[in-house]
Amino acid sequence: MSAAVQKTGMLGTIRRSVAWRALATIKGGVAGGFLLLVVLGAIFAPVLTPYDYDIQALTNAFQPPSLAHPMGTDEFGRDVLTRILYGARTSLSVSVVAISISLVFGMTLGAAAGYFGGRFDRMVMVVVDLTWSFPEILVALMLVAIIGPGVTGTLVAICVAYLAQFTRLTRSQVMALKSETYVEAARGLGASHAFILFRHLLPNCLGPVLVAGMLATGDAIILEATLGFFGLGAQPPTPSWGGMMSSGSGLLFKGPWIILFPGLCIALTVVAINLFGDVLLAKLDIRDRLRVV
Amino acid sequence: MKYNLSTLLATTAIGSCLALSAFAQEVTVVMASNEVGATSYNPVASSMQSVGTYLIYDRLIAKDENLAYVPQLAESWVEADDGMAWTFTLKPGVTFHNGTPFAAQTVVDWLALYPGTENAYLFDAVERAEVVSDLEVRFVMKRPDPNLLYNLSTVFASIPDPAAYAEAGEDYGVFDAVGTGPFRLESFEIGQQTVLVRNDDYAWGPGDATGKPAKIERLTLREIAESSTAFLELKTGGVDMLLNVPTDFVGEVEGASDLSILQLAGQDLVYMPMNVKQAPFDDIKVREGVAFAINQQEILDAVFAGMGKVADGFLISSLPESKIAEEFRISYNPERANKALDDAGWVMGTDGVRTKDGTRLSVKLWTQSDSFFRRLSEVVQAQMKAVGVEAELVTFDSAAIRDQYKTGAHQVAVRSYLWDNADILEWFFSATRPFYPNVSMLDDPKAEALKDAAMTGAKNSAEREAAFVAYHEYINSQFPYAPIYEPVQIIGYNAERLVMPEVLHAPRFNTLGFLELDVKE
Amino acid sequence: MLGYVTRRVLMLVPVFFAVSVVIFSMIHMLPGDPIENLLRVGSSPAQREALTAKYGLDRPLVEQYLLWMSNVLTGDLGTAIVQRRPVAQLVAQALPYSLSLGGLALCFSTVLGVVVGTIAASWRGSWLDQGLMGGVLFGSMLPNFWIGLLMILVFSVSLGWTPVSGARGWESLVLPVLTIGLGGTALVARVTRIAMIDTQGKDFVLLLHAKGVHPLTIQVRHVLRHALIPVVTILALRIGWILGGAVTVEVVFARPGLGSLLIKSLNQHDYPVVQASLLILAMAVMLGTLMGDLLQAAMDPRFRDSLT
Repeated sequence: MSAAVQKTGMLGTIRRSVAWRALATIKGGVAGGFLLLVVLGAIFAPVLTPYDYDIQALTNAFQPPSLAHPMGTDEFGRDVLTRILYGARTSLSVSVVAISISLVFGMTLGAAAGYFGGRFDRMVMVVVDLTWSFPEILVALMLVAIIGPGVTGTLVAICVAYLAQFTRLTRSQVMALKSETYVEAARGLGASHAFILFRHLLPNCLGPVLVAGMLATGDAIILEATLGFFGLGAQPPTPSWGGMMSSGSGLLFKGPWIILFPGLCIALTVVAINLFGDVLLAKLDIRDRLRVV
Repeated sequence: MKYNLSTLLATTAIGSCLALSAFAQEVTVVMASNEVGATSYNPVASSMQSVGTYLIYDRLIAKDENLAYVPQLAESWVEADDGMAWTFTLKPGVTFHNGTPFAAQTVVDWLALYPGTENAYLFDAVERAEVVSDLEVRFVMKRPDPNLLYNLSTVFASIPDPAAYAEAGEDYGVFDAVGTGPFRLESFEIGQQTVLVRNDDYAWGPGDATGKPAKIERLTLREIAESSTAFLELKTGGVDMLLNVPTDFVGEVEGASDLSILQLAGQDLVYMPMNVKQAPFDDIKVREGVAFAINQQEILDAVFAGMGKVADGFLISSLPESKIAEEFRISYNPERANKALDDAGWVMGTDGVRTKDGTRLSVKLWTQSDSFFRRLSEVVQAQMKAVGVEAELVTFDSAAIRDQYKTGAHQVAVRSYLWDNADILEWFFSATRPFYPNVSMLDDPKAEALKDAAMTGAKNSAEREAAFVAYHEYINSQFPYAPIYEPVQIIGYNAERLVMPEVLHAPRFNTLGFLELDVKE
Repeated sequence: MLGYVTRRVLMLVPVFFAVSVVIFSMIHMLPGDPIENLLRVGSSPAQREALTAKYGLDRPLVEQYLLWMSNVLTGDLGTAIVQRRPVAQLVAQALPYSLSLGGLALCFSTVLGVVVGTIAASWRGSWLDQGLMGGVLFGSMLPNFWIGLLMILVFSVSLGWTPVSGARGWESLVLPVLTIGLGGTALVARVTRIAMIDTQGKDFVLLLHAKGVHPLTIQVRHVLRHALIPVVTILALRIGWILGGAVTVEVVFARPGLGSLLIKSLNQHDYPVVQASLLILAMAVMLGTLMGDLLQAAMDPRFRDSLT
C-alpha cells in the first residue's frame, strides 16, 4: 500500500496547481448540477412523467425512442424514462443508505481501533484485511446468496463490501491525530476517552472520511447495478437501474435502448460523483490525507 | 524416390481432404433452453433428460408425427386379448456402442434396473419380463396397461447396456453412456456441452428409416441458458441450429437470408400451480379468482407474438384427454375472477389491492431465472394486480427451484412441463408426490379415486381416455393451477449449411431428425 | 531482504487459514440443501442419510472444516455434489479460461495505460493530456457488464467481427479482454503519468537535456524506464480487481471460466465447488498482494531498509 502513498503525494502537488483549481470549479459546477438534476428527477418523478412505472401496456412494447417516449418503451410497454426516474429512487437510496450505514460502522470501528490500539486494533485489522482478500463483487454475491435477493440483501452486501475501506481510513486518520499536542493536552487534563474521540478526533477526520464515502457511493451504484443485472437486486416491478438492464440484456437485439439508457444514467451519475468528489478533495485540500489508506 | 514422394504427397492430400470433410460434417446445435442443466445421460434414474439421450440410446418403440407407434428396436409386438401379456419381437443384429449384442435377455436385465428409481412407475403394471427366444421377449402384466407402448417410447425408456450401467454405478451417464443409438457419447460437460460422434454401425433406425447411419459425423450439443445469446450465436454463425427459437426472434430469423424456421407441434405447457396448503390459496374461491384473472390471449399475443396456443386445461391440445367439457375449461374471465375474490371476503382497497380483516392479499410468485419465465411472470404479476392480488416475484435458478419446492414454502409459481401423455396429470397432481412434482399439493380423495381409475383401471385406450377426461375435469374444478400457454416448437437453422429432412416422421426433432440431417458440401 | 521475504510469506499462512474459515462459514450459511437436488422422488430417509454421509454433511461443522482443510492441503478439493466430478477437475477446466482472460486483460490495460500515461505526461496540461486522462477515467467508471453488452451489440451483432459468446479461439477473447481491460486502464495511466512527470524533474534527466539528447529519446529510454517501477507494483495489486471483473464479464460472454463456474454452482447450491472457487480466487488475490509487496521491496531500497 505504501507505493500508493508516495505516488499520491506527487499527485497532490500537481493537482493543487492554480489551473487545476480553476478547472475544478467548472467541473464541480457541471458535476454537481447533474447530480442535483438526478436527485430532483427521482424526487419529482410522479410530477415529471405522465406514465406509471408499473402499469403494463403490452401492445405498446418495444417502441423505439420517440417524442411520446424519449427513451422508448420496454418489453412490457412501459416508458423507459419513467422507469429510470423511479429507478433512481431505488438505486440512489440503496447506495446512499448502504454507504451511510457502512460509514457509521466503519468510523466507529476504525476510530476505536486506532485510538485504543493493542489487541483490539490487531483483531479489527485482521478482519479488515480478510475482507480485502475478496473482490467486492464476490463478497456482495455471497451475502445476497445468504440473505436472499432484494433490496435488503443488496443493502447489507454493499454495507459489508465497503466496511473495510472506511475502517482502515478512519483508523489511519485517528492514529495520525492522536499524538497531536492538543490531544495529548486534553488527555493530560483528564478528558475521558469518549470525549477525546468524539470531541477531538472524529470531527477532525470527518472530512476525508465523508469524501471517501461519497466516492464509494459511486462504486456502490455500480455494485448495486451489477447485482441487479444478475437479477438479485430490487425485484420487479420495482424499477432499479441495474434491474432494468437485467431484463434488457435478453432483449439486446430487439430493443437496445432498454439497456442503453439505464447504463448511460449509471455511467454519468458515477462520473459526476467522482468529479464532484475530486473537486471537494481539492477544495478541502485533503487529498493526501484521504489516500493514506 | 520420386514415386515415394508423390505417394506421400497424395496421401497427405487425401488425408487433409478427409480432415476437411470431417470438419465439414460437424454440426453444432443449441439445445432447447428447458433442457439445459440435465446432470447425466442416465435415462433410468433421472427425471430430466435432454435431446442427447434420444441420440445415444434407442427405445423399443418410437412415435411418428401423428403420435402413432412405430418400430424402433422392437420390430413388432402383440398384445394378448386380455391385455395381460405383450410379446415384442426384436430387430436382429443390433449392438451396443461397446460391441455387446442387444437381445431378449438385455430387455429383461434392463427392466430390472427400474424398481426403486423415480421412473419405476413406467413399468409398474409389468409383473415380469421373460425371454421367449433370443429375439423375442414377453412382458407378463400385473394388470392391463393401455399406456405401455407410450411408456416404452418415452425418453426414460431409453435402453442402456445393463452391464455397463451396473458397472458405473451412481456415476452412470456422467462419464460414460453406452446405448445402441445413432451417436456415441464422446464427452459431456454438465451445463456446457455434449459432443457426440456417429455410430457407423447404426442400421436400426426408427420406423421406416433407411437403415443407414447418420449423415453427419460429429454433433456438438451446446447448452446456452439465455435464449438471446443462443439466437445471436445462430445469427453470427457460431452454431448451426437452435432447437428452440424464442418467439421474440422468429421475425429476425425469417428476415435473415441464410436462416430458416421449422415449426413443429408443441409438447410444452406453461401453467401456474397454486399451493392449496398455503394461505390464501387454501381457499378455493381465491384459487378460482386468480385462475380466471390470467389473460391467456393477451399473453399469447403480446409476449409470444401470437405463436402457439392459449391453454385452457392442463394437457397439450393434441391429446384427446384435453377435450374436456366447456364448463371445466379455465380461461380469462375478469368478472368471474373479481366475483370469486369478493365472495371469498377479500375487499378491493383504495390502492388496488384487496384486503380481508386488515390483511393485504399479497402473495409470493415463484419463477425461474431465465428470461422466458421472468418476462412471463412479470405479465402474470400485472394481470393478478388487475384483480387486486399483489404478487411479489421471487426468482430461483432453474436448476435449484425443484429443491425449493420441496420446502413447501411456495404459494404460487409459473412453470412449464414437456410431455405428450395424459398421465402427466397423475405426475403433477397425485397426492403421493407432494411438494414436487405435485407443486399444487393437491390431496383430495375424489381426485385420488379418479386418478386410480385413470392410471390403472382402464382395460383399453377408450376407457383410459374417458377416465383421464374425468380426472382432468375434476382437477380443473378444484383450481389447483391456472393454464397459461401452449408453445410451438420453433427450430431455427442455418439453411446455407444444413439440409433438413424433407418430411419429419417424428413428433420432435431428435433421433430421426439428426439421423437424416445433412451438411451441404 | 531475505528476512523480509520469509516473514512476508509466512504471514500468508494465518491469513490463508482465516480466509478459509470465512469461506467455510459463509458456505454453511447459504440457504438450501444440495442433497435435495440429488434425491430422487420417493427416495427414503435412509437414502438421504446415506447421501448426506457420503458428502460428510452429517458431521459436526468443526470436523467438516478440518476434513476439508486437510483434503485441500493434500490437493483434494472434494467432489462436486450436483456436477458429480472431482472439484479439482472442474476448477482445472475453468481456470485456463479465467487465466487467459485475466492475463490478457492485465496486459492490455498495462500497455494502453502506459501509452496513454506517457503521452499525457509528455504533453502535460495540454488538451491531449486532459482529453486522454478524462477518457480513460470515464472508461473506468462504466459498469463492465454494460460495456460488455454494448460491445456485443456493436462488434458481434452489427459488424459481425467477433463471436457473441463462449470460448472458441482467440476471437472470443477480444471483447471480454477489452471490457475488463478498459476499466483497468485509468489507474495504470494515472500512475504512469505521475511517475513520469516526477522523473522528468530529476537531475539526470535535466543533465541529459543539457547534453542535447533528443527529447523523445530521453522520454522513452530514460524517463519511461524509471517510471515503470511503480506501474509494475500496481499491476500485482490489481489481480483481485481483475478477478472480480472477470466474474461478471464471464457471465455476460458465457465464458466457461472460474467466475461462471462460481455463479452456476452458487445457483445450484453445489457447495464444494463454490467453496473451492472462492478459495482459489482469494488465494490469487493474496498472492497478487504478496507479489506486489515483494516487488515494491525489491525495487525500493528505502522501503526495504525500513523493514529490516
